[in-house]
Amino acid sequence: MSTLRIDGCTVAFGGLRAIDNVTLDIAGGAITALIGPNGSGKSTFVNMVSGQIPPRRGRILLDGEPLNGLRPDRIVHKGLARTYQVPRVPKELTIDEVISVPLLYARSSRSLPGAARTASDLARYCGLRPHVGTPCGQLSVSDLRRLEIARALACRPQVLLLDESMAGLSLEDTEQVIGLVREIHASGVTVVVIEHVMKIIARLCSHAIVLNQGKLLAEGPPEQVLTDQDVREAYLGKGFRL
Amino acid sequence: MTKFLLSRLGLYAAIAAPSLLILAADRPFLIQVAIGTLISAILALAWDILSRTGQVSLGHAAFFGIGGYGSALLTPILGAALGWVIGILLCGVVAVLLGAVTLRLRRLYFTIATLSFSLSIQVLILVTPGITGGATGIMPPVIAGGSPPLQLLFITGCLVAAAIVSDVFLGRRFRPAFFMIRNNPDLAAASGVPVTRLKILAFAVSGMVAGLAGACYCGLYGYVIPDDVFTTNWNVLPLAVTILGGMDTTIGPVVGAIVLRLLEEAARHFVGGVGYQVVYGAVIILFIAGMPEGLVGYGRQLIRRSRRSSERAPVKASLAS
Repeated sequence: MSTLRIDGCTVAFGGLRAIDNVTLDIAGGAITALIGPNGSGKSTFVNMVSGQIPPRRGRILLDGEPLNGLRPDRIVHKGLARTYQVPRVPKELTIDEVISVPLLYARSSRSLPGAARTASDLARYCGLRPHVGTPCGQLSVSDLRRLEIARALACRPQVLLLDESMAGLSLEDTEQVIGLVREIHASGVTVVVIEHVMKIIARLCSHAIVLNQGKLLAEGPPEQVLTDQDVREAYLGKGFRL
Repeated sequence: MTKFLLSRLGLYAAIAAPSLLILAADRPFLIQVAIGTLISAILALAWDILSRTGQVSLGHAAFFGIGGYGSALLTPILGAALGWVIGILLCGVVAVLLGAVTLRLRRLYFTIATLSFSLSIQVLILVTPGITGGATGIMPPVIAGGSPPLQLLFITGCLVAAAIVSDVFLGRRFRPAFFMIRNNPDLAAASGVPVTRLKILAFAVSGMVAGLAGACYCGLYGYVIPDDVFTTNWNVLPLAVTILGGMDTTIGPVVGAIVLRLLEEAARHFVGGVGYQVVYGAVIILFIAGMPEGLVGYGRQLIRRSRRSSERAPVKASLAS
């Protein structure tokens, strides 16, 4: 079970500190929620950990091994994968072809026939059975989200960051994705879920981390964090009474 | 797998067939036209391989010229076979070095860098007359003893080789990764793809195939000046041919080269003078505006449409009855 440690990390765009001296541990083998109001730095956090926007200061450690300074594709090789909230995939490629890319290039590189087989297996695992062989241009948003999860799983991650994989999905689709995340977790992957819907977090996660204006605001079990006075103020504003 | 292999072999046979027909007809003019067409097809295939990673080059004349000059200058020293191989490898090395600097540039900036590179190579040749002959040019050894039919046969072989290279990069290992790099490089990197390294690979292969085209061209008549190879024509031609024929395919650039040449000859015949170039240019623009996916893409659309209507026909019949 892999542990991710963020140690004093700062990401700044000009004068704005999108991530401001954040230190936290993401425990191995758990499903951790990363929450916070809009603009709190959640997406920047994912971009920072995955190597897309390297931190200006601080260290990122996966099982004690530093990740910062590595290119995004090297970080994938180290065992950390992420999904994108709005995946832009080449619409002329079929879903199997998209899933085959990490199978061929990420750390578990396979032979061509092996990759083709595993790609359609992964597509089925993520509930895309009817779409095997379909060009991505014909997929719905919920299927694209599932494709993103399948693509990230094809990286064979130890730590998986899911960026709002359930945002805007129907109740039925949300339930299916929740089931899928639980299965992925049960297979031994450390999962970080970025989510807005508190009900989902309370059901799915054993630990929650709250960011606000780039700073760590609170962390702990979801039921405790969600009732925290500071967290409520960050979301709802000061002086708000229910 | 065997089915795939058969379809590829069919494609290569189809690419080679027109040349063989022209050889059988034994008309000197047609042979000259065919040779020029095939050379632009090879250059266009080179351009297309690079464009699959999202890089639009306006400087392929540089590789065309380096391949031509390299093979011509090395053949007297190393012999024909080794001279060509080293000359073409030189294009790959130049592409790797240029790519290491320019491929981190995005889109238009890369295009501008390739254009200025091709211009500076021409200047480099002009200022080093001791090695490259300068403005007076060089006298490369001719291919196949200067016999046009044999030259056509040889260049047809080169085109089939270029088509095989193009197909390798349309295979399952490279095509999805290349398209992902073009469409969304961040997603490609997040899938473990070494984006810059693959772009450099595509650039090197593209440069070498363009060098092959240049080597063929320079070996035709035994005399070449810098203005023959380092012209804007060779920079723009592969782009026009590929867009006309259809991008991301092997057959597209070949079809594009043939159709473009037919258009040019037709315009020259019916309009004549210098005015033919205006008509020829206008027709190219009309074609591209009407068929944004190129001739091959348009053909595929027609096939799809006719299939769909033939599927619908029985339904209509059963509804009517």
